[in-house]
Formats: sequence, C-alpha cells, structure tokens
Amino acid sequence: MKADNYLKLTQFYQNYAAMVDQENWDAWLDMFSEDCLYKVQARENYERNLPMAALSLTSKGMLKDRIYGITETIFHDPYHQLHLVSSPLILSESDDGIIESQANYTVFRTKNNGIAEVYNVGRYLDHLRLTEQGIQIKSRLCIFDNEMILNSLIYPI
Amino acid sequence: MSHENPIPMAPVWEHEDTSRIPFWAYTDEDIHKQELEKLFYKKHWCYVGLEAEIPQPGDFKRTVIGERSVIMVRHEDNSIYVVENVCAHRGMRFCREKHGHVKSFTCPYHQWNYDLEGKLQGVPFRRGVKQDGKAKGGMPKDFKTSDHGLTKLLVATRGGVVFASFDQNVESFEDFLGPTMLSYFDRMFNGRKLTLLGYNKQRIPGNWKLMQENIKDPYHPGLLHTWFVTFGLWRADNRSELKMDEHFRHAAMISTRGSGGKDTQTTNVSSFKESMQLNDPSFLDVEVEPWWDGPTAVMMTLFPSVILQQQVNSVSTRHIQPNGHGSFDFVWTHFGYEDDTPDMTERRLRQANLFGPAGFVSADDGEVIEFSQQGFEQKPFHRSLAELGGKEIEETDHMVSETLIRGMYAYWRKVMGV
Amino acid sequence: MSDNWIETISIDDVPEDDVIGVTVNGHQIALYKVEDEIFATDNVCTHGHALLSDGFLEDGQIECPLHQGRFCIKTGKAMSEPLTEDIKAYATRMEDGQVFLKFR
Repeated sequence: MKADNYLKLTQFYQNYAAMVDQENWDAWLDMFSEDCLYKVQARENYERNLPMAALSLTSKGMLKDRIYGITETIFHDPYHQLHLVSSPLILSESDDGIIESQANYTVFRTKNNGIAEVYNVGRYLDHLRLTEQGIQIKSRLCIFDNEMILNSLIYPI
Repeated sequence: MSHENPIPMAPVWEHEDTSRIPFWAYTDEDIHKQELEKLFYKKHWCYVGLEAEIPQPGDFKRTVIGERSVIMVRHEDNSIYVVENVCAHRGMRFCREKHGHVKSFTCPYHQWNYDLEGKLQGVPFRRGVKQDGKAKGGMPKDFKTSDHGLTKLLVATRGGVVFASFDQNVESFEDFLGPTMLSYFDRMFNGRKLTLLGYNKQRIPGNWKLMQENIKDPYHPGLLHTWFVTFGLWRADNRSELKMDEHFRHAAMISTRGSGGKDTQTTNVSSFKESMQLNDPSFLDVEVEPWWDGPTAVMMTLFPSVILQQQVNSVSTRHIQPNGHGSFDFVWTHFGYEDDTPDMTERRLRQANLFGPAGFVSADDGEVIEFSQQGFEQKPFHRSLAELGGKEIEETDHMVSETLIRGMYAYWRKVMGV
Repeated sequence: MSDNWIETISIDDVPEDDVIGVTVNGHQIALYKVEDEIFATDNVCTHGHALLSDGFLEDGQIECPLHQGRFCIKTGKAMSEPLTEDIKAYATRMEDGQVFLKFR
C-alpha cells in the first residue's frame, strides 16, 4: 500500500470513531456504501460460525432504520461513547481498490451521573472500498470479546 | 409499611392480595437465597439448553441453573446427562470451557476423573505410592468411588429442549407444565430437529423476577415498544389471550396480528409515531408458517428459568441466570428448524434485529428493568401496583390486564411462605 | 529392525511380582515379573497417560495409579472402566540373564 493511502486509511478509522462518539449519524451513514453490511457480533458466534449477531444490518436502508430507532423509538438511558481505535492492520488489498483490514477497538460508556466503564471491546473486520472520492465501508463486522453486553446496546460501535 | 421504621426487619406481605408487590421481594438478599433454594433447586424444572447444542456423543455445554454451574452432556448412548460442575473432592468448578467435546471429565486440581454420567472412575494414588516395594499413603480401604460422583440432575427432554432438576422428587416435566402450557410448548417444539443460529447475552442489573414479569405484562409493549406498535406486530386491539397453568406460575401471552398489518398502519391509541416508515421493509418480511396454527406471537414464561419466544418468524429461548438479588444474565439462544429454507433462515436472522440486547423492541426492556430495580432499592419499604384488569387472577381474552403478574406472585407467596 | 530381539535390562533388575519402567528404542515400556516369567507392555496408560510402572500389579493385571483402570499384562487388553483402549503387549525372551523384547 502506498504511504498516502495508508494515511487515508488511518484517518478513516479515526474519523469513524469521532463521528460515532459525536453521535453524528448522518456522517456515520455516509461512510457506508449502498450495498453495505454492518454487524455487531459476539466472538463466540463468529468463531463457531453461528450466524446470530446482536445487530445484523444488510443494507444502507437498514442502517437508516437503525438510526431512526435509536433516535426516535428505543427508550434507553442517555450515554456517551468514547472509542479508542488502534492503527489498522492491512490483511489484503485487491487491484480494484478493495482493502481488507482490521483494527482493535475499546468503547467506554459514560452515563449521566456515572463514571466511565469499559463497555465493549473487540475488533473491526472490514472490507473497504478506496476510490478517488475517499473510502467507503463495504462491510464492517464488530466482533466483540465481552461475554455479556452491559444491559443494552443502542448506538453503533 | 410502618412509618416509624420504614425498613422491614422481616419481610411481611402486608397487602391482602397480589395487586401490590412489596419492593423487598426484589431487594432482599436473604429472600433471593431462599428463592434459589425453593424455586431453582427444588420442585421446578429449569432450562439448560437445546439438544442441537450438543449433537454428538461427548459434546457438552456448560450453563447454570439458578446460580449453580452445571454441564449438559450427550452420552455415548445418545442420552443427555446434566451434572453439577463441582468436583466431588475439593469442590472446584472444574469445567472451564463453555462448550466442547470430551470422553470424560477431569478436575485439573487432582485429576479426579468422571465419566459422562458423572460417576467417579478413579482417583490418583488411591493405593498410595510405591516406595521400597511398599505402598504408602492413599485412600482408606473403605473408600468407594461410587460414593463420590458428581451431583447428577434429573433430566427431561421434549421436542429438542432440555430441562433439568436438582430435586430427585420433582413431578414429571409434563405435569410441571400442565396441559395448557404443554400444548403451546409442543406447538413450538413439535418434534422437528432444531438448528442452532447462535447466542445473544446481556447482563441486566435488576432482579430476575422482573424479566418474568416483563413477559407476563401485556400492558407495556404497546406503550414502551413504539417500534412494535407502528408495524402492527403488537396492537392493544389484536386478538389476544392470556393463559396460565393451574398454579399460575407459567403463562402464555398469545396474540394474532390484526388486519392493521405492515401495509396499512392503522393508528392506535398507543401509537405515538404513526408516520414511521421503514427504509428497508425486509425487517418485517414475515412469512406465515403452518405450525403457528393461527397466533403470530406466543410468549411463554416457564417459571422460574426461561422464556420461550415466538414473535412471527423469530424463535428463541431466553434463559434467566441470576447473580444475586440485583442482577441476572439473560442468554438468548436463537434457533430454526431442520426443514427451514435458506430464505427462512435469513428471515429469522433479520427479524432477530428486533430482539436481544440491541433489539429494536427488546433493548428497552433491559433498560426499564434496570431503572425499576433502582426505584426499589431506594425505598425497599414501598410496593408496586399490579391492578390492571382488577385484583383477581384469571385467564383473559384481551391484553389490558396484569393478571399474569398477580398469578405469579400468588404462586411465589405460596412456595416462599410469605 | 523391529523384527529383532532387543536387549533391555538384567532379569534381576525386574522386581518380583512387580513392575519397572524402561525406555527401549525411545519407547516407554513396562516390564513385569510374575513367577519367573517376564511380560512387557506399553508403559503409558491409554486413558490418563500416567505411567503404569507407578501402578499396582495384581492377579496378572496392572492397575493405573491415576484412575485405577486395569490392563492384562499378557495381552494389553483393557479390563475395566474407565479404559476404552488397549495397550500393546510385546513378546519377551530371557537369555544370558538379560530380558529381550520384540516390538512386532
């Protein structure tokens, strides 16, 4: 990978984290391609080839519906997320601009009146499309290690 | 509710019926320990898993009943055993893997070895150690391996679902469910092999009974779960029934989706956001299955340990695993049936987005349970109210009743002796 | 080579009515002496992988010290629970005060 592409890639990962942490859902949606896949899945399911996931969204329409759900319909305690995302590891790169990469993440959750707690830890497993216009997510799997979700998972990881 | 001493010294059920539920039922650690003994370890069948989780002889899954760790394992003869995960020697919880495949169980501490039924096969240095041609140390002559097996539970399997009981005198599983609940159980588990789709697991900081109550409460779905209502999956005027076993411990909420449906979003008194449109309607790409025999949703609460879910094409078991009075782990096992087409499997997986810790309609259940517990903890001398539909306990043909909650507490009081 | 008789240890070093572990061509072997006859089997139990030479010889059977599974020392056959798999037994010969063993 060319150095300037790697720079774009690392900026993309950090920008994703920033947009989610800022609850900028329009920007979050814009990072996905139309035919995208987004899953938040327990490591146990992933490693045993069990298809169940906490969230399994298979189109951009579903992503929009999820954002509608978290902003309009789902009742939940207000909280902030803070993501720490490692520098990406490039697994493969194809001639047509598809990058397969992964990065570890830690998400801290802070509720009103609360202290920050480790909420979700795992890794992103990504297929990204690199074009002149920038980078778009073809698929992002968030494979998390924690055996138990701390009650509920509302916002995207 | 003495105003002089608002914290009860001993829990007393002050109200004449169960339309009031004292907060101490959720906040008292001694009560919780009593519940484990009386509800989870005696007189009840508790859920342990699906046969599909351990398809081959030697396959095992570690799980819990109440707060006791147990192992469900398939024997060479294909039958299923459930043994307690505590070594007969020094009491170690020896099995650390969540699932796997073994020929026998061995506690790593002193290598005590058990067969798949939990029988002790042998212990190291039973005859001591040989030194200068003599055996030194070892177990006494009267030590019998047959006296020191793992605690073995009674096991009941029906329709591919496995239940177990520590109580060797428990009634049959069929009697435990009673004929009405059994008919709904058999509707969902009608003999077809189940296929395992996977797990969702969440830790909910609230008393475990609140989850049973949540699925015995048809008052909230149309009010809390806005998402449900708008798409006609739950409407207060759907054709509905509330049923119980003769002890009022188990219940089923049965509903059939009305003509509102996904296409005509008829407004409803409880639908606050009727303009909602899905960008991707495949979330609700429902296909009617022959086995439903009418109802589009049947939610069963089997007391005390499990909830059996059919919500249109999404089917799962939801296992309640308490950790102390103020927290429980909630483990969802989603499954399908052996004759499902790939399309049907996809449909079940898509609809699963509505459920579980991140679900469009289930995430809020975990949240309200957490905040109910917070309310109870701050004034344990107080009580909640469950009076919708009156103070009696009876089956109904509508959803505007808290009768199932009153029923559960009538049973709870009897077993707990309060 | 495996067809050959292999010299192991002195007959006198095999304890009477008991067992001793030896290494022969890299294999762990248990040698037994019963009424002036010598028997040889694998030394590693097929169940818990303990050394049978730490076990107890009784009535022509060696009992594993770990979980009390018993093998016939003449045939290697697994005689009791928890064993499900036999061990190998080997032909032996005594000559010039030494024990010889044949792997096949």
